[in-house]
Amino acid sequence: MRILRFVARRLLQLIPVLLGVIVLTFLLVRVLPGDPVRTILGQNATEADAAAARARFGLDQPLWRQFLDYLTGLVTGDFGTSIQSGAPVGAEMALRVGPTLELVVIAVTIALVVATVLGVWSARRAERPADHGIRVLALVGNSVPEFWLGLVLVLVGYSVLGWFPAPNGRVDPDTGLTPLTGADLVDAVLTGNGPAIASAAAYLVLPVLTLVIGVVAPLLRSVRASALEVLHSEPYAAAAAHGLPRRTLLYGYLMRATLVRLPSLAALVFGTAIGSTVLVEYVFSWQGFGQWALRGLLYRDYPVVQASVLVIALCYVLVFLIADVVHAILDPRVRI
Amino acid sequence: MARSHRAGGASSPALSRRGVLQLGGSVALLLATGACAANSESKPRDGASGGPTAKALRIAVSSYLSSWDQDFVGFDLTALMLYKNVFPYLIDYGVTAAGDSQILDTQNVTPTFAESFEPDATQRVWTLKLRRGVKFASGNELTAADVKWSKDRAFAAQANVAGIYRTIGLTGPDQVKVVDDHTVEFHQAFPSALTRQIQAISLYVFDSTEAKKHATASDPWAKEWFAKNPPTGGYYNVAKATQGQEIELSANPGYPGPDPAKTPTIRISVVPAASNQRLQLQAGDIDIALGISQRDIQDLKKAPGIKVISAASNRQVTIQMSVTTAPFNDVNVRKALAHAVPYEQIINNVYGGDARAAKSPVPLDMPGYDAAGYPFTHDLDQAKAAMAAAGRSTVDSELVFESDNEEQQKIAVQVQSEAAKVGINLKLTPLDPATLGERRSKKNVPLQITSGQLWVNDVEYMLATSFVKGANLNYSNYSNPEIEKIYEQSHTTVDQAARGRLWKRVQEILAADVPWVVVCQPNFNLPVRDDVAGWVQPMDGLARLRYLTASA
Repeated sequence: MRILRFVARRLLQLIPVLLGVIVLTFLLVRVLPGDPVRTILGQNATEADAAAARARFGLDQPLWRQFLDYLTGLVTGDFGTSIQSGAPVGAEMALRVGPTLELVVIAVTIALVVATVLGVWSARRAERPADHGIRVLALVGNSVPEFWLGLVLVLVGYSVLGWFPAPNGRVDPDTGLTPLTGADLVDAVLTGNGPAIASAAAYLVLPVLTLVIGVVAPLLRSVRASALEVLHSEPYAAAAAHGLPRRTLLYGYLMRATLVRLPSLAALVFGTAIGSTVLVEYVFSWQGFGQWALRGLLYRDYPVVQASVLVIALCYVLVFLIADVVHAILDPRVRI
Repeated sequence: MARSHRAGGASSPALSRRGVLQLGGSVALLLATGACAANSESKPRDGASGGPTAKALRIAVSSYLSSWDQDFVGFDLTALMLYKNVFPYLIDYGVTAAGDSQILDTQNVTPTFAESFEPDATQRVWTLKLRRGVKFASGNELTAADVKWSKDRAFAAQANVAGIYRTIGLTGPDQVKVVDDHTVEFHQAFPSALTRQIQAISLYVFDSTEAKKHATASDPWAKEWFAKNPPTGGYYNVAKATQGQEIELSANPGYPGPDPAKTPTIRISVVPAASNQRLQLQAGDIDIALGISQRDIQDLKKAPGIKVISAASNRQVTIQMSVTTAPFNDVNVRKALAHAVPYEQIINNVYGGDARAAKSPVPLDMPGYDAAGYPFTHDLDQAKAAMAAAGRSTVDSELVFESDNEEQQKIAVQVQSEAAKVGINLKLTPLDPATLGERRSKKNVPLQITSGQLWVNDVEYMLATSFVKGANLNYSNYSNPEIEKIYEQSHTTVDQAARGRLWKRVQEILAADVPWVVVCQPNFNLPVRDDVAGWVQPMDGLARLRYLTASA
């Protein structure tokens, strides 16, 4: 009950945060140098054509009017019309969010599992060769740029070994997958499309691996440090000295205490992973949210930038909310 | 430290084995699923091994199109290329040979879905006669009503077509009149030698019966529907479009004109990274790579199973100098830069020798080209003399180019290096598309690298877009009263010899005024699998896919 009250309170706090994001994004994107209309005009365009295009997207209105129209649209679920494509931004975004979320959620989940298991395992072997080996590997993984790593994985996994499909999308179009959420693996499972499940899984492996290698290092190091702290703590020493069973020691004393810090770090890593998808999507032809938002920013497609920043902010806030709740559940000292 | 070793060591075996096994198992499962799935979908590999007998042609492009609606789309080259192949263009360019290459013949515009398109004696009224029985995929017949609705829509959009129609004196929907179900008249304000070419790139038609089903009071032109739904009735129909990933085209069996599609199925897949296009081309998973970098193309020339089609192109690389901004408001400084640019070095270092030296702002293959249009060569002594004539020992300027354009960056570096030798100090300024667009509209870029080709292969169109006052591509802010007069005169000059004389004079004026440095005309290079044939080089840069085959 207390947690539900906490969640409700935090959700209410979302409103001013998102309002701030809306106002700031709206103003900042217009302060940036660059004219979105000039990028859509043909070779013969005149100033009159530019003015007509501006009027078509409401850019001829005073700023306050544009903002009011934007706010009114948001209330009714209308994110506006993309200047580049002329299509509704909400519909475009719906197609793009699913693939990116699928990629990030799977990658962060795998990274969390890997970091937890290896971090604890490494801490229990602190200063032994295996521990050093894992730390070095994590450092290397953290140091390699995702763009380069992705290209190397494509070269090895697709070109040399031929194990994985060409980096030309997210699922084989011939599987006849019916898109529902935009997350192809989820859609394939929901529609019970066996070939699409296999295809989507195959296409996911390399981009997920790229993201996992990129984000696992900070998680692993945090888990290892926490585990070492717990292993050195008096309560753990006392429990071990009393001869408690290994399983109890492990899950009752070590794991729970170790994982206390993980949720907030995982939330941060989730944000990093969303940022990393811009390059990963490019390398793997993923056509997700990151590439869409980047193109919107490059061409100053105001409605696209506004919508993408708002959605990213919403994701961040919700992920941190979840992290706080999990933290509270894991750590009895936390009062919410 | 010792304590932690003991603590860890005491209970580690239970955790380590299980934990590591669980982890290893999970990773192995993921990899195995992926690998099995990859092996199970053997179609692309089969396609690769299928070789000449494979019927589907696979083409990689760099991006998915942003919209299916040609009237309202931004400047999206993938989209514009697809439109050429899926919209019914009622008239189109023919094909002619140029050396070893086949190119679109801009002097020969022929009816395709139309039966004829001819002017009256005044050359002001053009009559379009439609073939009977031509149908869209919906089964609706293509009639004069569709043409009228499509042109009304284009004027309402006030975008691409409306802009280009002004060049031939079409400014409003009233000038497009339906005579009967299969006849439409275009009443131009003046006769124009450009009409056939302008209409060749503008006379595309929507299925208006279908469109009206999706029109609403707030969206009378069904913009929302057309943005998401491919047009039908062109050389190809869109059989399937997987958003962001692949578009499958199937040849339209109902196409009534000459040169129908030679390949029944074309699959266009989106592969943004040039390096991945190269890998897939080498692996045989794609047949044509429409987005490979110059460096990769050089390497691919030696790769087995791949050939690089090279064709002359009228894409021009230029450096536009602002004639109204210091220091390039002085014609002698402009001449100094024109002599300082290392043309041959750029052709060799940037294009691997695969470009032609340009001798006029009029592209090499454009009718009316005259080599006297740009009498400048790399000559530092003459450059210094021009600087002396300007009374300047040094000048400073920024040199603007597109931030994500490797080719322009290389050119900028080489120009900067040579220009410094004659006292022209350039600060390299890469700009993103929106910022570049804004600065161009304000005409406040003193020096900028541009690259592109015109949609209409004619000097009148070139003047309209690039050299008359206020023209959209006139980033130099160039204006010359005689050029303006010639441009006005050219509207109504339809005799080719007379036009030729006008263009000769235009090039003399431009040679004296030097608003542009004309760097070169790079050839178009296209890496394809060995069994691909039939490439026709488009003079507007937008590939016509109907000529392509996947067997030698």
